[in-house]
Amino acid sequence: MAQVSFTLNGVAKTITVDSIETPLLWVLRDQLGLTGTKYGCGVEICGACTVSVNGQPEKSCDMKIGEIAGKSVMTIEGLKNDPLGARLQKAWLQYQVPQCGYCQSGMLMSAYGRLKAGESLSSTATGMSNICQCGTFQRVKEALLALPTIA
Amino acid sequence: MRANTAKNDTLVMDRRSFLAGAAAAFMVPVTLTFSSRPAAAATTGVGAYIRIDDANNVTLITGQTEMGQGIASGLAQIMAEELMLDWGQVRFEHAPVNPQVYGLPGWGLQLTGGSTSTMMWYTPLRTASAKAAYRLRAAAALTYGGTPDQWSLLVGGKLKHTTYGEQTFASVLGQIGNTTDPGAVSFAGTKRIVGQPVRRIDLAGKVDGSAIFGADVMLPGMVFASVIHCPTITGTVKTCPTSATGALKVVNLGNAVGVVATNTWAAMRIASSLQSKVSWTLPSNLALLDSTALATAAQALQDAATPVNLKSYETAGTPDDKVGQLDVTYKTPFLAHACMEVLNATVSVTKTNGVVTFVELWLPTQGQSFVPGTVRSVPGLSSLTDAQIKVNSMLCGGGFGRKIEQDYVLQAVKLAVAMGKPVKLTWSRPQDFKNDKYRPCASMRVRLGGDVNGITGMVYRNISASISFQQGANPEDTGAVAGAVKLPYSIPNRRVEFTPLPTGVPLGYWRSVGESYNTFAVESAIDELALSLGQDPIDYRLRMLTGDQRATALLQKLKNSPNYTAMGATKRGVAFLKGFNSYVALAVEVGLDSSSRIKVTKAHYVIDCGVVINPNSVEAQMQGGLVHGIYSALYSRVTFAKGVPSVSNFSNYRVLTPRDMPKVTVDILEGDPTTAMPGGIGEAGVPCVAPAIANAYQRLSGTRVRELPFHPGMTMSD
Repeated sequence: MAQVSFTLNGVAKTITVDSIETPLLWVLRDQLGLTGTKYGCGVEICGACTVSVNGQPEKSCDMKIGEIAGKSVMTIEGLKNDPLGARLQKAWLQYQVPQCGYCQSGMLMSAYGRLKAGESLSSTATGMSNICQCGTFQRVKEALLALPTIA
Repeated sequence: MRANTAKNDTLVMDRRSFLAGAAAAFMVPVTLTFSSRPAAAATTGVGAYIRIDDANNVTLITGQTEMGQGIASGLAQIMAEELMLDWGQVRFEHAPVNPQVYGLPGWGLQLTGGSTSTMMWYTPLRTASAKAAYRLRAAAALTYGGTPDQWSLLVGGKLKHTTYGEQTFASVLGQIGNTTDPGAVSFAGTKRIVGQPVRRIDLAGKVDGSAIFGADVMLPGMVFASVIHCPTITGTVKTCPTSATGALKVVNLGNAVGVVATNTWAAMRIASSLQSKVSWTLPSNLALLDSTALATAAQALQDAATPVNLKSYETAGTPDDKVGQLDVTYKTPFLAHACMEVLNATVSVTKTNGVVTFVELWLPTQGQSFVPGTVRSVPGLSSLTDAQIKVNSMLCGGGFGRKIEQDYVLQAVKLAVAMGKPVKLTWSRPQDFKNDKYRPCASMRVRLGGDVNGITGMVYRNISASISFQQGANPEDTGAVAGAVKLPYSIPNRRVEFTPLPTGVPLGYWRSVGESYNTFAVESAIDELALSLGQDPIDYRLRMLTGDQRATALLQKLKNSPNYTAMGATKRGVAFLKGFNSYVALAVEVGLDSSSRIKVTKAHYVIDCGVVINPNSVEAQMQGGLVHGIYSALYSRVTFAKGVPSVSNFSNYRVLTPRDMPKVTVDILEGDPTTAMPGGIGEAGVPCVAPAIANAYQRLSGTRVRELPFHPGMTMSD
């Protein structure tokens, strides 16, 4: 048992975890009930578990909760509170990006993190490595490139 | 000219012979099943497709699973058209298990597969909605006065009468129970919502994280589980530990060892650590689980004059005398489903005096019909009635055929019984890859003869792992030759042969099933012959389309499309499919990347799927079909070394990422809209991809690729 303090979607949290080795992904999902962040591969390939940690896109499946202490985490559930995040969500709806939708939390958080870090829209659109088995890639790109037109 | 729908429904049933056999017992009565409120549905037991609440929102209750294909929206559009609803007041909900009400009309099975949902529900749901519209008018008359005929529907869930004004649906629900089925009804005949690219109703929760997939179900007091299977596929547990450090429980599940813990990560980690401590009983015949041995066996069956269990289809004329120009064999591998959402199931059991009296399940499932039987197969649960089993169908994070299966459901029920409290089972990604029900591998020898006017003779032999043969059916497997029979082309002398390749590898339905390999062989071979005769690939196909106007219109549309002509003639390829009650033509342009690996640079689809419910969804399904088709054609396969699968994660099963996506365009034709029915779109986009790429690649390189994938062994970092 250990205590970890961090900021989650803008709110200060102190939680007790079984092990500081537990990945952030599973603390979010199983302990905190924030199930918008998804398990896809567990080895930092697919990107379904992407969240924002101190403003950087990070894959939460292989990030120990102990490493989060003192940091600020944003998940898909908090994305709407950021103006850029809200615009991304609006673009995703307008371009009807999701199909099954399972990978889209990670898609959105990857795009958000890259744009926040100053990457261009086109570089973000082609540079993301998120896997989507429904094949939403073209609409992801369209939605991203249309972002300047989204109020 | 229209396809014969009844005939094609039969065709689809043939493709799933084991399902068809089960469905033959009864047909779903197409009658009005309309209730005013959830309580009414629950108390009367009348199946209900449509629910109207006090806020005047209208909910479609459907037995079809939303797994990304947009079926919830498509069916709701059909309902909304007849009821003249505003799209914003429309909702959807997955139905409870009740195949007699919610099963596919025509199959009587509550499942989602075979691209059947829209084509089978279109008329029944229109009818039920039109009858509901009548009964709302009748209820308005009872509530406010006048006769049903004096009331009309207004857009937005409202009713209007010259004397009694405008009233909402919600205001007349109290009288619905006093109205009766009007018998025959006429349809709205409008295209206010059907045919429009309305925004799917399931998207909001998919961009803000609130959508609840099976994997996301949380229950009070729930514990978390994972499993470890035998490294050799289909092996069973001989002995296993009864406890493990950090685990709440270790459970022998027969085909796997289950580990229950306080979180999923702990359960997965402990399960993985138990592998060395479990003793497994290996399957008896490892040769049936070995890709090298299976390839040798398949070749022997190809070489045999009359292999055992040989079945012939569509024999016509004297094909053996007419073939001689082309004699080639195409090969396709086992494939995994690789849904982004791994297999998972959440189950809660209620015990009374130590006896299980109620089982509730929350599942990502395409196969609701099979769940009660799965529950009853667990020792101690065999006498549970349907009323003691409740299934909540959750959103699926992809299905592609995998979630029809019951293996993960069975494990979760056993775990919940063992724990006596709610359990969520989540397979790890490696377990999901290594214990799939794989797309059958296939070897297809194609012999053709012909001239510039077309193919005069075809002898086709498919040697493939067979789903129905593995399930104990007779060697007849029309699914295994789907895509090689009922071709749109006029071939006067022909014979299509099939022999099942015996294998112990567990098999399952994979998006587009038989067409995913037979269309590769057929459309590649036609192209090879056309090329050898110096013929344009589209013109050559057109010459063989005698009397099929939809097919002809489709290929002409492709040929004249600027998206097609803009592709370089030396690097483009085409393929054509008539299947799933739809017609699809695809052209791709290919190039080589810096490592000389093939890359699809452009793709253009033309699809005629009859009545279009939502053009935006049709386009999305073609985009998705392309992605499935490209990854399986270029990169991925599953091989077995004495029963040990070659894949364990996306690291060694390469799928697509944004950088791999070519620009894809889609033209949609609508057959003859006055008499048309909807065709399938979920699977129709896949089969043409591999042959179109192979055909393009030959023009680019001079080399013909006849074995998939093009680039085996690639990783996600390649």
